[in-house]
Amino acid sequence: MSWLFKDPVLFAAVLCTWLPFLSMAVILIFTRHKPQLSSYISIGAVSTSLLCALFLLIKLVHAGGPVEYKTAWLIADDIVVPFGYLFDPLSLLMLLIVAVISFLVQVYSLGYMAGDPGFSRYYAFQSLFAWAMMDMVIAPGMLQLYIFWELVGLASYLLIGFYYEKWSAGQAGKKAFVMTRLGDIGFFLGLILLVLGFGDLGILAMNEAAQTHAIPGYLITASALLIFCGVIGKSAQFPLLTWLPDAMEGPTPVSALLHSATMVAAGVYMFSRIFPFFAASPTAMAIALAIGTITMLLSSTMAMATFDLKQVWAYSTVSQLGFMVMGLAAGGYFAGVFHLTTHAGFKALLFLCSGVFIHEYHSNDMRDIGRGGGRNLKIPMVCMTVGALALSGVFPFSGFFSKEAIMGVLASHPNKFWLLAGLLGALMTAYYSFRLIFMILFPKKIDATLPHDAVHHHQEKDAIIEIDHELDSGHGSSHDQAGGHGHEEGHGNVFWYMAWPLIILTTITLFLGFFQSSLEAFLVGHGAEGHAAEGGHGAGHYALLIAAVSMGLAGIFWAYLEFGRKGASQEGFLGRLPKLETLFANRWYIDRFLRRFLDRAIYGGLTSIFTRNDRRIIDGGIDGFCLFTIGSGRILSFLQSSMLQYNLLVMIAAVGLVVLYFVV
Amino acid sequence: MNTLSTYLIVAAILFGLGLLGVLQRRNLVGMLISIELMLNGANINFMAFNRFLAPEPAVGQIVVLFVIGLAAAEAAIGLSIILALFRRLRSINVERAQQMRG
Repeated sequence: MSWLFKDPVLFAAVLCTWLPFLSMAVILIFTRHKPQLSSYISIGAVSTSLLCALFLLIKLVHAGGPVEYKTAWLIADDIVVPFGYLFDPLSLLMLLIVAVISFLVQVYSLGYMAGDPGFSRYYAFQSLFAWAMMDMVIAPGMLQLYIFWELVGLASYLLIGFYYEKWSAGQAGKKAFVMTRLGDIGFFLGLILLVLGFGDLGILAMNEAAQTHAIPGYLITASALLIFCGVIGKSAQFPLLTWLPDAMEGPTPVSALLHSATMVAAGVYMFSRIFPFFAASPTAMAIALAIGTITMLLSSTMAMATFDLKQVWAYSTVSQLGFMVMGLAAGGYFAGVFHLTTHAGFKALLFLCSGVFIHEYHSNDMRDIGRGGGRNLKIPMVCMTVGALALSGVFPFSGFFSKEAIMGVLASHPNKFWLLAGLLGALMTAYYSFRLIFMILFPKKIDATLPHDAVHHHQEKDAIIEIDHELDSGHGSSHDQAGGHGHEEGHGNVFWYMAWPLIILTTITLFLGFFQSSLEAFLVGHGAEGHAAEGGHGAGHYALLIAAVSMGLAGIFWAYLEFGRKGASQEGFLGRLPKLETLFANRWYIDRFLRRFLDRAIYGGLTSIFTRNDRRIIDGGIDGFCLFTIGSGRILSFLQSSMLQYNLLVMIAAVGLVVLYFVV
Repeated sequence: MNTLSTYLIVAAILFGLGLLGVLQRRNLVGMLISIELMLNGANINFMAFNRFLAPEPAVGQIVVLFVIGLAAAEAAIGLSIILALFRRLRSINVERAQQMRG
């Protein structure tokens, strides 16, 4: 072990990435029945990780090039699969993001999850996630990345289905697992293709080879497209985007950490990780750009039609991920990563604020929260507004800077269609986020027809939209009960456990944007050539800036007209277009289409062929073989006369013949 | 008279008689005794070769002693099987033990 202590960087790296694993093991094995202790162990581990990540960042910020520690893990002929650590600006930044958000969310969970029967289990899974995510971030090779990528998926599955006694939560977990796995199959095939064609899965080697054209173009395109399937699954891009809104069945802090800030961003992270590799294939980049755009626009429209607080942010996450993919695919490495960074901050903030409201009012419905007096919760309300402003890209907040960077990249793209789509997306983003804010801030008072009390639990199903309220107090999940418990304690410790992370994240959201240039210098390199490549810094830049900001403001104003001002109908334009609303609320029938596709193509076509093969050939073959054995046994059994001495006689005759054969 | 072939012929006759006994007697005890005869025929062969041809005279004797020990063990097992069969069938005739006829 002495090698570990010789190098402080390596020591910090090992500590950073493996302490959460240790904490998970300790919690699962020893302290399951001591929830308080479990939470302290987990938070202790993750805060140590945070300190180590900070130490690594400070230590390696001026390292110049990537720092790599690796050992050969699998060796087969001339293919070597490495295992270890790769520190370059991207992985250091992502490591810090993961550590910070994990830490804040775990502290927040002390309040949110207080009194939950699965408290220890919750922290064990949180530790599992932190471990897997950090090890994924610093992976030097694609195979290690893939392994931890799957482990992150496992953590996601476990945490979505955390309230496993609730049917829909279990279903949502399963759906998330299966849908992301679908993309991962493509990812894995891509890796296999790469091993066969190129023979090295090291990230640095891949990027370098792609830039120097050491890999043939068709191979890059094919494997990049297959690897992009993994991004589609993990980051909920176009055909597989419906699992993310369903994943909101998990506890709200989980949604904040996994399903908005870090885990779903893993796809985008992987994209930027092997960005030069992708960039070497224009076809793959074009397809990625198209998919990102479709995702962003579709999910923005979906967000307009739901009344569930968390669903709005979930759709918004999908759309922002699409936006990041757009930025990356249009060639803006820094823009995409920067938006990933800022988005992690403000979207975690939005989710955590929603968590406070849900905790307080036991409802996910924004109308209920508004009527219940959501605006009286000063801290979360202010923080949420800040988050929403950042999401809409309004000036002093972090979202403004990163959106601006992506818009700049899109503007420098020869095809202006993408820029228009981006601007439209910005408009819709501002509209739906402020629709939510105004609905909570200025609730509509008169509602004689609808009974109103706090036990309301509004749920929107996949296929049926229920505009009317549905009373299902019998459906009170343990989640609500846990909330009730917390509520009893009032605004004591519990509230402040939840409030501090909000304040910290708000501060980050307020100031992160101003570090754009230093971050850019850190990520892209210290030269100015990065600047030129990012594009958009010219006379056209100001026009673009004004266009983007005015889109955001227009969206806010639009929302104000329909939801904010006195006497507003709060119906929105969708209320007057019921057909469109049904389409949006049913997620453009993507789920139904996938279901039908599954039924027709998979169950009807492929599976039936396999079933036939199974019944006829495999079963038939085995049956035939057995029948043959039985039949031949029947025939041979006539030879058995059961007279001991005849057997002996035959034996002796045979031996005699053998002797004859040898002698003569 | 005192040559190798004399002993070999005696051994062959002994072996042949044993074989005949095993094949044609229906009495299980009789069959067992015939097997002993065959073993003894083989033993005589060993001793004869040992006496006339072997460079190291001890080997054949050791083998013979071994075979005698084996024969004793075999007799014990064989007799116990016969006893078990007798308890079941009330007979030691081998023709009665034909229940596994195919």
